[in-house]
Amino acid sequence: MSDWKFMARQLVKNPLSLAGIIIISIFVIIAIFAPLIAPPPEGHLDHYMIPRDGYSATPKLPSEEHIFGTTEGQYDIFYGVIWGTRSAFRVGLVVIGIVLVTGILLGSLAGYFGGIIDEVIMRITDIFLAFPALILAMAIVAALGPSLRSVMIALTVVSWPSYARLIRGDILQVREEDYIEASRGIGASNFRVIMRHALPNAIYPTLVMASLDIGAVVLTAAALSFLGLGAPEGYADWGQLTSFARNWIVGPSSDPLRYWFAVTIPGLFILFFVLGWNLLGDAFRDILDPRLARR
Amino acid sequence: MGNLIRIRDLTVRFYTYEGVVHAIDDLDLDIRQGETLGIVGETGSGKTMTALAILRLIPYPGRIESGSIVFFDRDLHSEIELLKLSEDKMRSIRGNKISMVFQEPGAALNPVYTIGDQISEVFLLHQRRELGKRANKQVDRLLRDGDGLAASIKRPFWHWQKRLYNKIAQESNPFEPRFLSHVPLFRRLLWRLKNESKLLTVDMLKDVEIPDAARVAVHYPHELSGGMKQRAVIAMALACSPELLIADEPTTSLDVTIQAQMLELFRRIKVEKGASVLFITHNLGVASEVCDRVAVMYAGSLCEVASVEELFLHPSHPYTKALLDSVPMPGKELQTIPGALADPLNPPSGCRFHPRCPSATPVCQQEKAKLKEISKDHMVACHLF
Amino acid sequence: MELRSYIIRRLLFLIPVLFGVTIFIFGITMLFSPIERASLYVTDARQMTNIPQLIETYGLDQPFWVQYGNWISEVFSGNLGWSRVVGMPVGDAIWAFLPATLELSIFATPIIILMGIFLGTKAAAHKDRPLDHGTRVMAIFGWSLPTFWLGLILMMVFYGYFTGLLPPSRLSIPMELVVNSASFIRYTHINTIDAILNLKGAVFLDALRHLILPVITLSVTQVAFIMRLMRSSMLESLGKGYILTARAKGLSERVVVNKHARRNALIPVITVAGYVFAGMVNGVVITETIFTYKGLGWWAWQSAVRLDIASVLGFALFNSVLFVLVNLVVDILYTRVDPRVRLGGVMQ
Repeated sequence: MSDWKFMARQLVKNPLSLAGIIIISIFVIIAIFAPLIAPPPEGHLDHYMIPRDGYSATPKLPSEEHIFGTTEGQYDIFYGVIWGTRSAFRVGLVVIGIVLVTGILLGSLAGYFGGIIDEVIMRITDIFLAFPALILAMAIVAALGPSLRSVMIALTVVSWPSYARLIRGDILQVREEDYIEASRGIGASNFRVIMRHALPNAIYPTLVMASLDIGAVVLTAAALSFLGLGAPEGYADWGQLTSFARNWIVGPSSDPLRYWFAVTIPGLFILFFVLGWNLLGDAFRDILDPRLARR
Repeated sequence: MGNLIRIRDLTVRFYTYEGVVHAIDDLDLDIRQGETLGIVGETGSGKTMTALAILRLIPYPGRIESGSIVFFDRDLHSEIELLKLSEDKMRSIRGNKISMVFQEPGAALNPVYTIGDQISEVFLLHQRRELGKRANKQVDRLLRDGDGLAASIKRPFWHWQKRLYNKIAQESNPFEPRFLSHVPLFRRLLWRLKNESKLLTVDMLKDVEIPDAARVAVHYPHELSGGMKQRAVIAMALACSPELLIADEPTTSLDVTIQAQMLELFRRIKVEKGASVLFITHNLGVASEVCDRVAVMYAGSLCEVASVEELFLHPSHPYTKALLDSVPMPGKELQTIPGALADPLNPPSGCRFHPRCPSATPVCQQEKAKLKEISKDHMVACHLF
Repeated sequence: MELRSYIIRRLLFLIPVLFGVTIFIFGITMLFSPIERASLYVTDARQMTNIPQLIETYGLDQPFWVQYGNWISEVFSGNLGWSRVVGMPVGDAIWAFLPATLELSIFATPIIILMGIFLGTKAAAHKDRPLDHGTRVMAIFGWSLPTFWLGLILMMVFYGYFTGLLPPSRLSIPMELVVNSASFIRYTHINTIDAILNLKGAVFLDALRHLILPVITLSVTQVAFIMRLMRSSMLESLGKGYILTARAKGLSERVVVNKHARRNALIPVITVAGYVFAGMVNGVVITETIFTYKGLGWWAWQSAVRLDIASVLGFALFNSVLFVLVNLVVDILYTRVDPRVRLGGVMQ
């Protein structure tokens, strides 16, 4: 496990990945302490639904009561972005978790056994990869009916094939190496060989991809929500909060930037969340990629 | 015969994350006109870095700290301090007066350009005037022999070409051709230069004994064998008849039979072209076959320089002796040098070799020995002398 | 000759993929009731009033394979269903919205490719110097930007703050009238090209003004992607032996970088052109939605929001076919750029 220690040290040493770690830590803290940072009003049943302060369409400027102001429909932006952090983590981690399990399972089956199993699994990934991701996700969400759950299903469906392929490729490469031959030579079972030898070596690139993909998944989920194909109205979700501001990008002619807060703040949360994961994933890759390693 | 290259107090360091690497320390070395000088040493002893320092191509994060490298230009009959030259001037020397052949012919050739393209590039770069003259002759021939309708239509164009190539062939580089060669589409108007360079390329390939040279010129590197690639690389290095050819382990990655052919080629080059050769190798046998003099390097510093016979008959530096003893020979017990190669990050104090030296004295730990002439043309850097 | 047989082989190879794609798409429709699915078979507005008869004709209560057979034969005869959003057959809708999207890509694609390659080359040539750090941070930011948010911010500034400077939609109303007048011949339905062909400078400038923000929005992420890839690819190529050879020849740094290193570095970049295409299709949906730029993406969004399933699936099918073809072109291009690749070698 000194590998992990080495990696941790490298991650902290690099300013970019350190920034990524700090950003993600802040978001983790926000997500955990959401009920303390933005306490739901009394009698509020579903904490993930943003409390409203009236029904007027026009956003209200930041004030004591609403520190980030309210957006269209008087949804409190501060409450929305704080609880939206939880939604973002949920979408990102659940989708990537399921995708990792499916990808690793199918990829290692295909890579290790080869032959007909490999052929079938790879042709199935071909079909899934024949669509641009957002389009397929849109179609699936439209078919299942817009909801956060549909978004998560859609994102899982569009993401698993690349993981299966990556794992398969790595296992094919590892399988050729001598020590796998050797362990089979001494009578280790197929399952044991996969678990003990092939997977641990193929896993690093997959983890890099996963950390980069958490950002991408959250981004796509936000885009779907923005397009009106995600969370139900009023659900704490960054993409939806941004879409509430769509009609308010231009203020009255005396003050064209009057509603800047409604447009800017939710987007900044998305940007920094994705940035955090990308910084981390990038540094991760630099450390793991021996070709880019600094001598 | 005078010196072609005179290196004095050359120091090269690499500034890495782990610390400062002393790649070359206070190196003094001469390369004489028309000789083949071998540099022998283990991996990491600074042989290649010495060669790259002469071309001023030390890779990042390395730097030439101090010293001087003087090059005697036969055409200009003057001495040039290479380390003080502007980058532009230095470029006109690289590949032209000093050129280099690298260890791995496969890696040294660009996989996406043909052999011919890569060699003619050298002519187009350094021999523009010569190419201009040759193109001019071509146009002259057309003007003289051309008749019929087509020729009379083309005649004005030929006259314009003649003027153009005349300008190129002149001493200075006037505006018109310079402008043309920098604008993508107009560059084609100078196609005769390219044509001439292709002809020269084929001649060059024939010169290094490549069969079917015209066909090989349009091949990509991956379509040739290792030996052919190395010949092409040598052709590239010899294109402008350099005064110094640096060969960095040119035979190491080749089959033994091809190695012998390659050594023969180098011997012929030296005789025919009158060029000096700096031959870098870790193989003493190879060095003894092609070199006139041999320099032995250890951990970035020079141990001993002598003529081949002298070095092999009377090795004086303890490291040279150990090196010669470790050459496997039938009927002789194989010896190894005790200890490990000096750590370049923390080189030993004083003489670099003292921790492994059987005859080390206390002074070896403190002071580095200067190079001393112990007999004619035999220099040793050791406190024993 | 070799190339032609290779293309034919690759096209044959596409058949099973497209077969799978259609099964998958049709599988999605099975999530709907026969009544909703009926819109997949409609060819004109009148039929929409007579759904039960459609269910009867196309056997929408039959087993999956029978339905699939019926559907696929409809698709092959050019019937992709009825788009409720715009009130015309899906095939016609794709044809009608394509020029707008094409116009957007005509401007965005060169920017993406040239900027990405240029910035990536520059960053690699200045490795670990301020320029490199700057572009690197910019690239990570660009890659993390939510496209829809970027579009809104750009509009807030260039449409709101600088009142009406760069407006949304495709054309302003007066120019719309010019374009739709009888004397203006719509050769291509691509506004900028038609404007040039009709010698209408005002229309051209107006169309260009409406294009600037969408093109920027569409390009930023992709430029960041290509730039990052190009940088690492250039760094790898700059470390190769042939670069040292090129320098030892006496070539200037400019030629070494722009000729010897770049040509090699482009090879891996070309292999991801398919991803860039997919990224652009994703971006087009979002960009056109934000700027109410009425092209394919806008239409797809409208259809998805209004659960117009025939349009969404028709669009998905259209894109997957296009995507697969783009990947084929990329593979062919790849064999042209890298002399080491033999045509047969790309196939497994």
